[in-house]
Amino acid sequence: MIGDAVERSLRSPQVLISVSDLLSNAAGSRMPDVHPDLLTDEIAHRVVAACPTSALKIDEAAGRKYLVLNYGECIACSRCVAAGEGAVRYAEKVARCGVSKEALIRRWDIESRAEVVHDEPALSQAAEQIRSLLGRALNIRQVDAGSCNGCEAEIVALTNPYYDLERFGIHFVASPKHADMLLVTGPVTRNMAVALKHSYDAVPSPKLVVAVGACGCGGGIFGGSHAVVGPVDAVIPVDAYIPGCPPTPSMLLTGIVQVLSPFLSPSRRQKS
Amino acid sequence: MTQTSPRSEAVVSRALDLLRAANTRLVSIFGSTDDNRVAYVHYLIDVSSREYRMLSSPVTGPIPSATPITPAAAWYERELHDQYGIECVGHPDPRPLLLHENWPETVHPMIDDVSNVPQAEGQYRFLRVQGDGVCEVPVGPIHAGIIEPGHFRFSVIGDTVLHLELRHFYTHKGTEKLFENTPVMDGVMIAESVSGDNCFSHAVAYCQAIENAFAISVPPRAQAIRLIGLELERMIAHIADVGALCGDVAFSVPATYTARLKESLLQASSRFFGTRFWRGIAVPGGVTRDLSSAETGEFGGIVMAAARDFAQMARLILNTSSVQNRFESTGILTAEIAKQLAIVGPVARASGIRLDVRCDHTSGRYRDINVDMPLYKYGDVLARARVRIDETAISMRLINETLKALPAGSVLVPVPLSGSAEALSAVESPRGELLYWVRIRDGKITRCHIKSPSFQNWPALPLAMPGNIIADFPLINKSFNLSYSGCDR
Repeated sequence: MIGDAVERSLRSPQVLISVSDLLSNAAGSRMPDVHPDLLTDEIAHRVVAACPTSALKIDEAAGRKYLVLNYGECIACSRCVAAGEGAVRYAEKVARCGVSKEALIRRWDIESRAEVVHDEPALSQAAEQIRSLLGRALNIRQVDAGSCNGCEAEIVALTNPYYDLERFGIHFVASPKHADMLLVTGPVTRNMAVALKHSYDAVPSPKLVVAVGACGCGGGIFGGSHAVVGPVDAVIPVDAYIPGCPPTPSMLLTGIVQVLSPFLSPSRRQKS
Repeated sequence: MTQTSPRSEAVVSRALDLLRAANTRLVSIFGSTDDNRVAYVHYLIDVSSREYRMLSSPVTGPIPSATPITPAAAWYERELHDQYGIECVGHPDPRPLLLHENWPETVHPMIDDVSNVPQAEGQYRFLRVQGDGVCEVPVGPIHAGIIEPGHFRFSVIGDTVLHLELRHFYTHKGTEKLFENTPVMDGVMIAESVSGDNCFSHAVAYCQAIENAFAISVPPRAQAIRLIGLELERMIAHIADVGALCGDVAFSVPATYTARLKESLLQASSRFFGTRFWRGIAVPGGVTRDLSSAETGEFGGIVMAAARDFAQMARLILNTSSVQNRFESTGILTAEIAKQLAIVGPVARASGIRLDVRCDHTSGRYRDINVDMPLYKYGDVLARARVRIDETAISMRLINETLKALPAGSVLVPVPLSGSAEALSAVESPRGELLYWVRIRDGKITRCHIKSPSFQNWPALPLAMPGNIIADFPLINKSFNLSYSGCDR
């Protein structure tokens, strides 16, 4: 009977993950991180050669050599991790979620074995703060513009009892007309470009657009296809990017919160 | 128009004769070009559920359509025309399939230059249902939920659906062409991105095709780990599907419960294999991750616990009268239609069709293990739910048995990076028969065809709709649970 299924559900254990454990957590994402103390010129060249996309590059400027990692181009294939002899490992944290396209890129000076100074995004760890900002009212319309469904699987997971996106007052809505934010996945296919534009136009201003996943950020493995127009920003303006193939629920949540962070602390916004 | 050469006529008519036989099932029809740019058509036919037989023929002009013989050929021949410009004479519905009106009808991507193809315009012709009181309800490509895009055109009288027409391929990414000139070791990354929630099935099918081409035997331990991944992917898919079916009948509490069980399995995958969806695990030659004996027990414990929990919950769900009321006799797919359309996977088994790659075309570790096949004859939403519930328990048993007897040894052998060959391989993905056919020249893929279970099964959905109310469409659609990206490729 109906009561039996409900009763069993209500007796199930509490599994909610705390905000501090979620933000920036990249476990299971297979995204790389560089440990510069072990970085050598040889390893840098080896990992760049192993990279099937252009996520890893060597950049030479003013007589200095840099290893450049663009998370937006990374398809999390982990070949650099295999080739990196410990200098490239799976990232435990990826804070570059929900940031500008430029901020997806990290640089390490190979000779001095140090990351080039950057503004590591500082995230609010307080659920209360997020909630007070949103007033339980951030509405997201998700649009699949051609994805493989991997990103969708992870976006759906945001609503499960481990992540419970609704605790922050964030929910997914059925119409772009009800939305504050478009969360767009996929390389935009030729066949979806018009529908994506229409969805964008239907969202009332002011609106935020977040491109999700390797394909959404940079076209991913499908970038060169004849049937694909390109990444999301080839079709509509994008405010922020969440990398990953697919990004884990933690990375998605980090990204969504990050996009809102300028509104959280006005002083930080002025500085940047 | 060039005449069809006698040789090719003979092969095509042999293929059509074979399709007329009672013991055959169409697996796929696809094209290729050889080293001299001559176009070929390939008919892939399952004979007696035991042997994949391929008949290939050069094509120099129009060929007779197989669709009047087996309706299962309809989409394959439309795809063949889109990709290669091969005309199938006698096809009842020669509209473009993959390529929408933005694409010029004269450009066929597998044989023509596709750089800078201009935008075209046009109007797709939907079937118009006419009569007093008939209304059209267009839905999509963007839907209300977090799901993939596709268009459904309902013709209804009141709430009752008279006709449903699908229009898909919004997520068509030209994937088969992307494989061209890809080194064999890199192709697996494309395969993993064909259908994101079945990525391990795609990876294994691709890798096995490469291994078959080069006659490589994969170490038994790697085969065992692949089996575990395939069965875990099935468990995760089936648990999620049963939960989503509850969600579609507004039974949200168990829907959330099953979402929790699914997540526990994704987190176990992340913890023990470093990836939530088993990406990067299968590579040609084996697998990239191994399990220590301590991990084996712990990982197995989590999987068993989730499966037992699900089995108990599933019983409670099916005992709920409101669920029974919504599931029973809803969206019936008859065995006859399922056979004509060569339906595969859980949808076929729920309509009483005995078909499972794990039993019929065994490969890898499945040769050493007995797979039960649940069969239901009613073909309704309830039958499809029951198949998934039963198969979750079977997958658990397969994982358990495999973990208990993990063969010793390595998990990866080297694969030659050069050489030329052709081969195919099939796996039973959570959605059914998934098959990769590859042609390799000097270590690079020159053609990769993906027979996707969703491409095969989508045409059946509209035939399960007439007579049902439109409000039951999400439920019926979910009970088929077909991939859009896997179909559209």
